[in-house]
Amino acid sequence: MKLINIITLVYLSLTLAGLLIGGFFIYLKIDSEIEFEMGRELDRQVDSVADQIRRGSPYQGLVDDRLEIELLPLNKAEEPLYLRDTLAFHDPNDKQVKQLKASKSFKIDGQHYRISYFNLLLEKDDITETVVFTMVVVFLLQLAFIGFFLRRISNRVFRPFKNSLNQIQKFNFGSNEPFEFSESNIMEFDQLNEFLMRMSTKLLKDYRQIKEFSENISHEIQTPTSVVRGKLEHLMNEDISEKQAELIHSAYQNNERIQRIVRSLSLLAKLENNEFETPISINLTDLLKKNLDMTKELIHVSGLDLEQDIQEEVYSVIHPFIAEVMIQNLISNAVKHNVEEGWIRVQLNSSFLLVENSGVPLKKNPEELLQRFKKESNKTESIGLGLAIVNQICKTYQLSFTYTSEGAIHSARISLS
Amino acid sequence: MKILLVEDNEELADNVVRYLDQVGILCETAITHYEAEDKLLSYTYDCVLLDLMLPDGDGLDLLNWIKSKANSPNVLIISAKNSLDDKIKGLDQGADDYLAKPFHLSELLARLKAIYRRSKLEGSDELKLGEISVQFNTFQAFVNGNLLDLTKKEYDLLIFLITNKNRVLGKQAIAQHLWGDYTDDLANFDFVYQHMKNLRKKICEAGGRDYLKTVYGIGYKFEENPS
Repeated sequence: MKLINIITLVYLSLTLAGLLIGGFFIYLKIDSEIEFEMGRELDRQVDSVADQIRRGSPYQGLVDDRLEIELLPLNKAEEPLYLRDTLAFHDPNDKQVKQLKASKSFKIDGQHYRISYFNLLLEKDDITETVVFTMVVVFLLQLAFIGFFLRRISNRVFRPFKNSLNQIQKFNFGSNEPFEFSESNIMEFDQLNEFLMRMSTKLLKDYRQIKEFSENISHEIQTPTSVVRGKLEHLMNEDISEKQAELIHSAYQNNERIQRIVRSLSLLAKLENNEFETPISINLTDLLKKNLDMTKELIHVSGLDLEQDIQEEVYSVIHPFIAEVMIQNLISNAVKHNVEEGWIRVQLNSSFLLVENSGVPLKKNPEELLQRFKKESNKTESIGLGLAIVNQICKTYQLSFTYTSEGAIHSARISLS
Repeated sequence: MKILLVEDNEELADNVVRYLDQVGILCETAITHYEAEDKLLSYTYDCVLLDLMLPDGDGLDLLNWIKSKANSPNVLIISAKNSLDDKIKGLDQGADDYLAKPFHLSELLARLKAIYRRSKLEGSDELKLGEISVQFNTFQAFVNGNLLDLTKKEYDLLIFLITNKNRVLGKQAIAQHLWGDYTDDLANFDFVYQHMKNLRKKICEAGGRDYLKTVYGIGYKFEENPS
């Protein structure tokens, strides 16, 4: 749920609760206020009737359906104003309704009058209706107000926060730019932004260090293994016995293995770090054909049959160097894990690149072979990184790569669309 | 041929110097950018082997400096920075070739000779060994004047073997020279054996002697004077 919606909802619920409680008190207040005002009004009425009597009007003539005048014995003390609710018959409504009655007694010209005045009391239902109506109007106004002003203002207040969010989403190690936020003048946001800036700077620094480390390690290992290789090549040319030759050969091969592992790992690291960005659309057909031409003889001398089904003008957005590495790995994988008198089939069209080869049925789950250093056979020469590299390339360029094995047929398929 | 090797790793430099010395190429070394400039100002070289990672500066700067001089020597970049960018930059700035570390010494020699042929002899050189001769300008090889019917790879292989004659060449070195990275992960090098067998057969059929000798399963040797 969006922050602004949560705030709106909370605000509306609080307003609603406030209006309900407020409405209840307003109801009580209105009720008592009406009674009080009416009492005063009735008091004045009673007083003015008394005045009329004083001025000599016959009191019988004054009586109507709202005024009642009784004579009291003179010896009784004058009564003060007395208000009470009473049920009285009301002509216009033709029924008993609740009325407020005010009575007071006066001694005028040797007579003692008790003057009572009635008035219709506003019904509770009417008050409730009024209060509820008022509250609903207020609530609707609030709603409109919130919908328009509050959301606008909140949006403005939260703008720095949104900006920060946007920047975080766009964060990319490749571009090597720490966050840059402008002052929002809101303390909490500024604190958050400052923390984010520090964190991004630290992240980028760590990332650079790891990158440097992998670059360095690849360089640092390659130099001594180069030295070892050179020494062994020199040693090969000495006057050596067969036994020594075996030892040299074994040392040489293992040294080669180290070099291959380091090179492949550094390529994987570069792929993971997205170091091959800004890909351009390249002609896969040409590249594949060029690579097949180069390997045709290799496939042939390895005693394998090559079948090709390659569509012209297939393009894909991928770094040319990486595309070549991908094709090389697929082809050499197909050559490597083949059987005697086997075959390789390469198919390319606008929707996929498929490299199939004959081989030994797999014992492992083919998907497992996409992981690093996972290999089916214990062929010591294979370092088990070829398919992992292809897999990483496909991940980097968001292509889908599947490796399946149906009996003795292994298929590596890359979807291009 | 006289060569300057600019390389900060002395062991590595020693390997190269020894290898080239055995085939009669004089190779001097410079460990730093400064020393390299010093030597280049004092002597002339046919080719500079340049490591891009130097303790006192970027090798590419040195390359620029070399190329800014009149009559500048050829430059072969050797670098562990196995990145496409370096390769493109280096070649753009006038380097003649690029060899990624680690390299086989036999490969280095083959590249050096190729550069030398291209620039100094304008490609019209002829490579001779006994009754075998290779014409570079026509991409043809002869035995006693008879044209050998070689595939592209066999032709490359022959040049590689003659260039590194009398040296034991590991199967990996041969495979890598012919096929590059494709052979990286291959379990066996039977295809090297296949190529060798074909080449030997073609030379012998044309009346050549059997120059190829197998060395204990390590690799092969092209002997100048087979017994």
